[in-house]
Amino acid sequence: MATATGTRTEILISGFGGQGVVRMGQILGLCAINQGHRVTMLKSHGTETRGGYVRAQLVISPEYVDSPVVEHADVFVAFSQPAYKKFYDLCDGTVMYDPELFENVVDDAPERHLAVPATKLSKEKFSNQLFANRIMLGALTRVASLDYEAMRKAMLEVIPRFHEQNLAALDFGYRLS
Amino acid sequence: MATLTVSTRVGLVAPWVEWEKRCTDGRRLLEAGTYALTEGAIAAGCRVFAGYPITPATDIAEYMSKRLPQVGGYYVQSEDELAGMHACAGASLGGLKAMTATSGPGYTLMHDAYGWSITNEIPMVVVDAMRVGPISGITGAPGQGEFYIARYASHGGNFETIVLSPSSVQEAFWLTIDAFNLAERFRTPVTILTDQVISDMWEDLFIPADYDALDFVIPRKHNLMMPFYPVGSADLDVPPNLIGRGTGVCVSAYTHTEEGYDIEDMAAQWAQTYRLINKIRHHTDQLARYETLGLEDAEVVAVAYGANARTVKTGVLEARRRGVKAGFVRPITLWPFLDELYERDCRYVVCELNYDGQLVREVMRAAPDKKKVHFMGKSAELHTVAEVAAGLEGVARSNRVPELPYIWTEVR
Amino acid sequence: MNKLAAKYLRPSQIPTKACHGCGLGMIENWLLQAIDELGFKQENVIFGTGIGCVGRQTFATWGGDNFGATHGRALAVATGLKLAQPDKKYLIVVGDGDAASIGTSHLIHAARRNLGVTVICEDNMGYESTGGQFSPTTPANYVTNSSPYGMAEPGFDPCDVVKAAGATFVAETTATQWHQTVKIVKKALQNDGFSFVHVRFPCNENFGAYALGTRDTLKNLEWIYEHTQGRKPDGSETDFTWETGIKHDVSNSRPEFSKIMRDMNARVQADMAAKAAAAAGDDKTRDDGHGTH
Repeated sequence: MATATGTRTEILISGFGGQGVVRMGQILGLCAINQGHRVTMLKSHGTETRGGYVRAQLVISPEYVDSPVVEHADVFVAFSQPAYKKFYDLCDGTVMYDPELFENVVDDAPERHLAVPATKLSKEKFSNQLFANRIMLGALTRVASLDYEAMRKAMLEVIPRFHEQNLAALDFGYRLS
Repeated sequence: MATLTVSTRVGLVAPWVEWEKRCTDGRRLLEAGTYALTEGAIAAGCRVFAGYPITPATDIAEYMSKRLPQVGGYYVQSEDELAGMHACAGASLGGLKAMTATSGPGYTLMHDAYGWSITNEIPMVVVDAMRVGPISGITGAPGQGEFYIARYASHGGNFETIVLSPSSVQEAFWLTIDAFNLAERFRTPVTILTDQVISDMWEDLFIPADYDALDFVIPRKHNLMMPFYPVGSADLDVPPNLIGRGTGVCVSAYTHTEEGYDIEDMAAQWAQTYRLINKIRHHTDQLARYETLGLEDAEVVAVAYGANARTVKTGVLEARRRGVKAGFVRPITLWPFLDELYERDCRYVVCELNYDGQLVREVMRAAPDKKKVHFMGKSAELHTVAEVAAGLEGVARSNRVPELPYIWTEVR
Repeated sequence: MNKLAAKYLRPSQIPTKACHGCGLGMIENWLLQAIDELGFKQENVIFGTGIGCVGRQTFATWGGDNFGATHGRALAVATGLKLAQPDKKYLIVVGDGDAASIGTSHLIHAARRNLGVTVICEDNMGYESTGGQFSPTTPANYVTNSSPYGMAEPGFDPCDVVKAAGATFVAETTATQWHQTVKIVKKALQNDGFSFVHVRFPCNENFGAYALGTRDTLKNLEWIYEHTQGRKPDGSETDFTWETGIKHDVSNSRPEFSKIMRDMNARVQADMAAKAAAAAGDDKTRDDGHGTH
C-alpha cells in the first residue's frame, strides 16, 4: 500500500450524515484487514453529527496502529463544503471531492485536488444518485493504490443489497482517469 | 480460517500476551470496542447482562440482547442502572457470570450495588465507557473523569477495587476475559474503565473460533459450605457463594460474620475489612498489567491510559525522533495503583482526559519527586501527537510543558 | 420457640431484634404457616428482604438461603437471581419504604415483567427504624416525627400501583387477620408470577406513640382492626377504611418472567439450528452470530 510515511496510511472521509461516510470507511477498513493489515477507524457521532458533518478517520498499517487520529491524511475524501473547510488542513496528500456537492476549493494546491463527478455519473448511469458513494470508493481505490479485487469482495461483504449496481459503480469509479 | 500472527509489542505485561500466541484459529473482523467487550464477555462465560442503554455503552446492550439468547443467557433491560447492577449481583449469586455496562451518569447510580457486591464478594464485571462531564457533558466525546470514582466505587470505605482499562479494540476483547477471571479469583466486581473512543472506534479484531476451547477462562465454581465469608483471611481463589442450593448462605448490606449474619462489633468490622482489602493488596503481583517503552534511558516519561495512551505513545516516538530521551508508561491496571511503574527518578508528563487532574495525583504520590511530575490535561478530544511531542520536548529542554491551546497544566 | 419456628427458622437468630410488641414476628409466623401448609421445603424457598425494620428484623431468620439487599433493591436482586435459579420460590419480605418509596420503580417493573416472586409488604405506616417519619403509606393527617403538623402529602395504595403495573395476584390484609393472611399468602405463593400482599402491622414505639398516642400493643392492634371495619367500638365511623382481602387474582394467567426469557432462548436457538441445517444444505449462509454490520 502506497503511503506517505512508508508504513502508515491515513485516510479521512467526511461529509453530511446519510452520504455513506462511515460505510465507505467500513468497506475500506475491511478490505485492508482482509489483506492482513491492521486498521483503526474513528467515527464521529453525537454532537458532531448534529453539527453538520460525519467523519471517519482511518489508519491502515502493516503493524499495530498506535495513534488512531488522522493528523496528516494521505487521502481526504470530502463530501461537503463544511467538512472540506474544517479538515482541509489535516490533509497532506490528495483531496478527492465531488464538484456537484461543492466547488469552492482552495486554489493554492490544484495538483492535490481531484474532482470526481460521482453524483453526476451516478445520475447518468443509474438514473439516481444512490451509487455516487460507490463510484467515489472506486476512484479512491485507484488513487490510494488499493487492491481492486479485495475492495470488490469487501464491499459485497459489507453491503447487503444491490450487489450488481454496486459492483458496476465501483468499477466505473475505478476506471475513471 | 484465517491464521493470525500477532506481533507482541515489547513491554506489554498482561496475560493476553500469552493468550494471543496460543489462539491462532479464528477470524479477523473490523469491529467496534463495544463489540469486543461483548464478545469478550460471552467468551468468558458471561450469561447475564442487566443494564440501561447509555451512550457510548449502548451498543454493548444491543449486542448482548442479540448474543445472550444464542448462548442460553439472559439480557435484562433494567429500569435503571442501579437495578442493572443489583440484578447482575443476583444473577451472580445464583451461579451465572454477569456483566453490566454504562457511562458516567449511570455509573454514579451504581454505588450502593458496588458496595453490596464488594462486601458480599460477588464476582461480576462492570464496564464504564467514560465520556466528558460533569453529568451528561458532551455525550459523544471521550473523558477520563471516573479514575477515582472507580477506585472509591462505594461509600463507607474499607475496601479495595480492581479496575482495568484497555486501549485498543483487540485489547478490550482479551481484557474483558481477564476481568471475568479476576472477578472469579478475587470474588469481587471488576471494573473495566474504558472511554468513548475505545468503545466506539472500529479496529481490526481477532476473534477465536471456539470459545469453549479457551482453557484460560476460569469457570464458575461454587462454595457450598461454611465459611461463606473468610473474614480475616486474604486467601485468593475462594469460590463464590451460591444462593439456591439450600446452603443457608446469608447475604446482606451489613458488616457480617463468616456465616453472613449481621453484626455490630469492632472485631467483626476489622476482620471483614482485612478480608476485603488484603485479598487484593496481598496479591497485587497477580494484578499488574501495563505497557512500557523506553524506560531504560528515559529522562521524561509520558503516562497515559485508555484511548489517549495511543496518541501519547506515538507522541513519545515522535519526541524520540526529535532527540528527546522520552519514555512511555501505560497502566492497564489502574487500581490497585501500580506504584512500581514510577520508581524511576526522572520527569513525568501525565496526559489524561480531564482538567482536574486525577491520574497525575497518583503519579505524584508514587514518583520519587512530585515536583518533577507534570500535567497535560485535555477534555473532549484525544491529545494529538503534536501536543504530546511538544509537551515532552518542553519538559525535557526547559522543565515545563509549553502553553498549548486547551491543555491544562496546573494541579492543585 | 414455637414448632413452626423450630422447623424453619434459625435458633441463633431468633427471637428477632424487633422492639417489644412489634408485629413482625407474628406475621413471620403466619408466613411459616403458609409455607408449611403448602409443604414447601426449606431449601426451595429463598428469603429476600431489604432495609429498615422489616429488613433488619427478618434478615437471616429463615433457615434456608437469605439475602438482605440494599434499601429498596430486593426485587432488582431477585430479578437476576430468578433467571439463574428459576425453580425456587421467592419470598420477598420488605417494608413500606422498600416497596412503596425507595424501591417502587423495581416493584413496578417486577410486576410488569410478572417476575415469579411473592412480595410481602409489611407496612408499619412510616419509617420506624429511623425514629418514625412518614412514608407514602402513612394515613392523611397523622402526626409522625417528620409530619409534626399531620401527614400533608397525599399517599398512595401500593396495591393499586402493582395492579396497574401488571401484578397477577394482589391482596391486602392486616396484622389483625391471622387466618385470612395465611390463606392469602398461600394463594400468593401458588401463583407462578408476581404476587403482592400488603400487610399493615402496628409499630408501638413510633407510629403508635406519635400518631396514635399509645405504646400499647393491643390498643394499636385495635386501631388497625377498627380501620379494617370502618367502625369504632362506639359505632361511629372511622376517619378512613382499609378494604382488605384479595384485590386482584389472575394467578397463572400469563407467563412468568424467567419462563418468557427461557422460551425466547429456545426459539432463538431453534432458529439458529434450523439455519445451520439449511446452511449445511446449501453451504452459503454466513450468519453465525458474529456478522458484520
